[in-house]
Amino acid sequence: MDKIIEKHSMIGKRVTKLDAPDKAVARTRYINDMVLPRMLYGKILRTDRVHARILSIDTSAAEALPGVQAVITAKDTPGGKIGVLRDNPPLKGDVVRCIRDEIAAVAAETEELCDEAIRLIKVEYEDLPTVFDCTSALANGAPIIHEDRPDNIAMEQNFEHGDMAEGEAQSDFVVEGAYNVHYVTHCNMGVSCTVADYDTDGRVTIYTQTQYPFNVKMDIAPSLGVHPGDVRIIQPPVGGAFGSKLDVYPYEPICVFLAKKTRRPVKLIYSREEEFIASPTRQPVEFKIRAGMKKDGTLTFRDCDSLLNNGGYTSWGATTPYVTMRTMTSHYTVPNVRYRARAVYTNNPFAGSFRGYGNVQATWALETHMDKMAEKIGMDPIAFRLKNANPPNQITPQGSNLGCIDLVGCIEQAAAKSDFLAKWHANNKAWAEPGRFKRGIGIATSLHNAGGAKIHKSDGCGTMLKMDDYARVTIITGGSEIGQGLDTVLAQLVAEELGVPMRDITIINNDSALRPWDVGVHASRTTYIAGNSAVRVARKARDQILRAAAAHTNMLPDMLDLRQGHVVQAETGLALMPLDRILRQMHFAGAEAELVMATDYYEPPSEPEDANHMGDMSAAYSHAAHVAEIVVDTRLGTIKVEKIWSAQDVGRVINPVGLEGQIEGGIAMGLGYGLSEELKIVEGKVLNPSFRDYHVMTAPEMPELDLTFIETGDAEGPAGAKGIAELPTIVIAPAIGNALYNATGVRIDHPPLTPEKVARAIAAHKGLLG
Amino acid sequence: MLPQNKCPPEIEDYVSAQSLAEAVAAMADGQGSALAGGSDLWAQKDSGNGRMRKRLVNINRVPDLRGVSEAGGVIRLGALTTMTELLESTLLRDKVPVLAKTADRFASSQIRNVATIGGNIANASPAGDAVLPLIGLDAQVELVSKRGKRSLPLDSFFRGPGKTVMEADELIAAVEFATPPKGFHGVFCKSGPRPALEISVVAMCLTGILKGGKLTGPRLVFGAVGPTPMRCVKTEALIDGKALDDALIAEALAIMATEIAPIDDFRASKWYRTQMAQTFLEAELNACR
Amino acid sequence: MSLTHKITFALNGKPVRADADVASSALELLRGAFELGGTKLACGEGECGACTIIVDGRSRNSCLMPAVDLEGREVLTVEGLWREDGIDPVQQAFVDEGAIQCGFCTPGMIMQTKYLLSRNPDLTAEEAERGLEGNVCRCTGYKKIIAAAIGAGTGARD
Repeated sequence: MDKIIEKHSMIGKRVTKLDAPDKAVARTRYINDMVLPRMLYGKILRTDRVHARILSIDTSAAEALPGVQAVITAKDTPGGKIGVLRDNPPLKGDVVRCIRDEIAAVAAETEELCDEAIRLIKVEYEDLPTVFDCTSALANGAPIIHEDRPDNIAMEQNFEHGDMAEGEAQSDFVVEGAYNVHYVTHCNMGVSCTVADYDTDGRVTIYTQTQYPFNVKMDIAPSLGVHPGDVRIIQPPVGGAFGSKLDVYPYEPICVFLAKKTRRPVKLIYSREEEFIASPTRQPVEFKIRAGMKKDGTLTFRDCDSLLNNGGYTSWGATTPYVTMRTMTSHYTVPNVRYRARAVYTNNPFAGSFRGYGNVQATWALETHMDKMAEKIGMDPIAFRLKNANPPNQITPQGSNLGCIDLVGCIEQAAAKSDFLAKWHANNKAWAEPGRFKRGIGIATSLHNAGGAKIHKSDGCGTMLKMDDYARVTIITGGSEIGQGLDTVLAQLVAEELGVPMRDITIINNDSALRPWDVGVHASRTTYIAGNSAVRVARKARDQILRAAAAHTNMLPDMLDLRQGHVVQAETGLALMPLDRILRQMHFAGAEAELVMATDYYEPPSEPEDANHMGDMSAAYSHAAHVAEIVVDTRLGTIKVEKIWSAQDVGRVINPVGLEGQIEGGIAMGLGYGLSEELKIVEGKVLNPSFRDYHVMTAPEMPELDLTFIETGDAEGPAGAKGIAELPTIVIAPAIGNALYNATGVRIDHPPLTPEKVARAIAAHKGLLG
Repeated sequence: MLPQNKCPPEIEDYVSAQSLAEAVAAMADGQGSALAGGSDLWAQKDSGNGRMRKRLVNINRVPDLRGVSEAGGVIRLGALTTMTELLESTLLRDKVPVLAKTADRFASSQIRNVATIGGNIANASPAGDAVLPLIGLDAQVELVSKRGKRSLPLDSFFRGPGKTVMEADELIAAVEFATPPKGFHGVFCKSGPRPALEISVVAMCLTGILKGGKLTGPRLVFGAVGPTPMRCVKTEALIDGKALDDALIAEALAIMATEIAPIDDFRASKWYRTQMAQTFLEAELNACR
Repeated sequence: MSLTHKITFALNGKPVRADADVASSALELLRGAFELGGTKLACGEGECGACTIIVDGRSRNSCLMPAVDLEGREVLTVEGLWREDGIDPVQQAFVDEGAIQCGFCTPGMIMQTKYLLSRNPDLTAEEAERGLEGNVCRCTGYKKIIAAAIGAGTGARD
């Protein structure tokens, strides 16, 4: 009986996550759950000063405590410093510069013993002058945070394109604004944790939550005094990361030093309070924007100057201007642009990378500013944005080709579905009407990289594939899984190419000794780049199989296809042989024997920025538009977000379940940024290090969501897909700020829009504050 | 918590009391800490705030401390009555709905399942939500010790944050209040965008007999605007039995603002706490008209 | 050495004995002596719900429960839901709806959902949202979790 197998595509199908069943039944063992034989625990003593000279550290009582196996201080960690500018010693021996600073660490048989030992360490300090804000830190005579940077400037970026004077001359209107964005933190449900284990030959295995496994080898090795090749990185499942684990932070080398000293595995895990105090934050920024336009709304120039509070040390936060700059120079068509950013050392905690990178900050400032400009010229927010929307294939001032974007479609879809203009006009007219509760609607849009970002010499990803005699596929990917769903999307793409069920695909993704190189999980790159590499490696395997099958069937390889575990005749779908049979025939073929194995390294067609910040740094770009409809309690200042309409250019939908999950979760995180989350740091100290006082979104606070996927079909992306996970977090907050204005006529330039801030602004607007 | 800030308790003795007599005996030397739901005691265990004494006395298995009952026009809530029981008790839902309304806005489902009336009172947090309606109901708190039993008005029970008039050997046995008469009106308001999981920046309870737009025998109680839950007796006297017109409400808001004592802290400013208190009161007085 | 107390209780349907440190939480005992790693420590303050277990039919934060208070009680952890005849309908609903991303909050979400459905098998979206307000998720935006909670309830009644 001839069997006909139709082509059955996996792309666009609702697929559940491969790792979900194990997580649902708690078979998944997270790094936080790890226990190794003879494992010790490690804890860190942090300073209680924000700027002080260390006079002495007395560890004798801690060392004498029974059960304590090691106590280390800076003198035990002679290696190099860590961080983007290599300015952060893992343990501080001379000066502390912020409240996180690590003074000493202990390893002991239990966590309780570690705590007790920590309490026995005595430190003497001499306080030094402090500085907490950028302007003061830049002033003459300001306290110097690092001796080798007497101006307190950690990093500076400048860019200019076009003719600013000409832009100014062409402008009928110029609008100025200042926007200060705040500290927020990742709040990964799984707190920071690492386990280090030395072998007898000086090689170290580090179990860690990193999103950047191969760069970690390079970045951590100098601080340990070992060769990067002797560092093996294993990434057990993690409870979220969201950018927080892009850099090496002091607890990781500290844990390794404890393992080295004790010759036992050591696990170092934070408490939640420590997670709030000692984890990187999102980069806070003070923006100043001047922007001009003609009478008809055409943008003429944009000038943005920004100060970044760099805190005591330099992590990825200082580099967020590379992304902020793209938004400020390239979001909407602006012929003349200038951008300047300075990251300034202070005695505050420091920032790292966080989903959306500098773009959450930039989009808040820019999209608030765009609304002000539209009002100035008497245009509605939709018409003004459409007037200046980037067209497809535009070459930006920094030399990016935006390719198959659809900003116009995003704006039009979000506006049409939300009935934006009718509501917006009606709300505007209702400002003066009585009533405690006011309704508002607002829009914001954003531009983001959607095909990685070539910030290293390579933005590539390697993949290895093997198939066994039963047609089971193993994919060893350089890409990392942090909960976002890499495994599932790779399995889906490979299943599509090889015609096998997803359950027959095993993904190996967590051991640097097995996996080929990859940059890491950041820049919305993983589906795009690891996905492309997986597709390419699967095609190589497929070609190998079809060549063999062609020889067995006396057909040409391109007349064959792989479907549902069979080799079939492509044109008719006629099943010719089961896939596992041809694999065995290839394997057990005597002198001709071959196994199906393939490798691939995919380098996206992007370019690194040059010294002048020119370069097409991503393989794809994308936009999203969000409309938010809110109700404001003008007395209590609470904002209830009733509904959000999201329209996002996703390239192509690979898996709607994963896509919706990323967008919904991204919106929740962006809502927190705009409405409620703020790490309150006063004089360098964190005032609210708990979920009680740091307010992340909870289930009843979530608005109704209406998601629209715009499929532009990226020519390079896997199945046409683009990277999608950062945009939803980036774009929502300014839509709410703009809706607040539409509701009340009150504008708040500095997020988050907490009830008290909103109530105060409204009271001030009404002249009710003294 | 950072290791250096931890102050773990040194518990030298553990008693799981099976009866009120055993519980009282275990507390008699003043060295016992009563354990009920644990949602406060265990959360604060390592904070070194002095509430953990050397003997942990588990009172969860003491039958006499449980139960919601009504007899002779008096409703009695055993100290171990949980917030969930306040929500689910048909007796309370029918006769004292303000207790269910308050419980509904208390922490989270998991906490409501364990947090007790007795614990909320003993913890003496200025932001202890469940205390407010009980003060609004003129509740008496019944204390037991080896020395005997005494009852005192909940209104005079608190001395400051974490401080009460309770002696170290005493346990809270129950709270009691007269079954509210027909026409009893009680409302509970709480700040914040979240329905419940929110530490109160301001909470308010207003009770009284509502008839024809007048509130008779009103009780106005605020949480988190002073060191203890605070009654606004001048405001109560002002509005007692009077027609709630715009002028009276405006006067009530002004007087109330002089009675509360909110502070500035990182959670909210004094200005905002006052604004919230006035907004709650204005809305609820208007709702009575 | 800290004080311990011998306790006996029913854990996932089986009687067990333990030496409970009187200063430790049920969470520490379950994760430690019983290696029940599904009950997650994420805040230790009752603010996130990741450690939710069901004790005598009521959900609670195991981080705020003294281990000694487990004495005589019936305790259900997420591990107790997976039986020989398959995974629990609530677990299945979380998988099917895409309610799991990093999965760290998942056991607590599932246990709280299980509890809510035990009280009311016909949850509305609002009831599910209110019932899960003490469970923080940083990945999903809650929409698919709420869908799973509602879906599992309807399924249980069919």
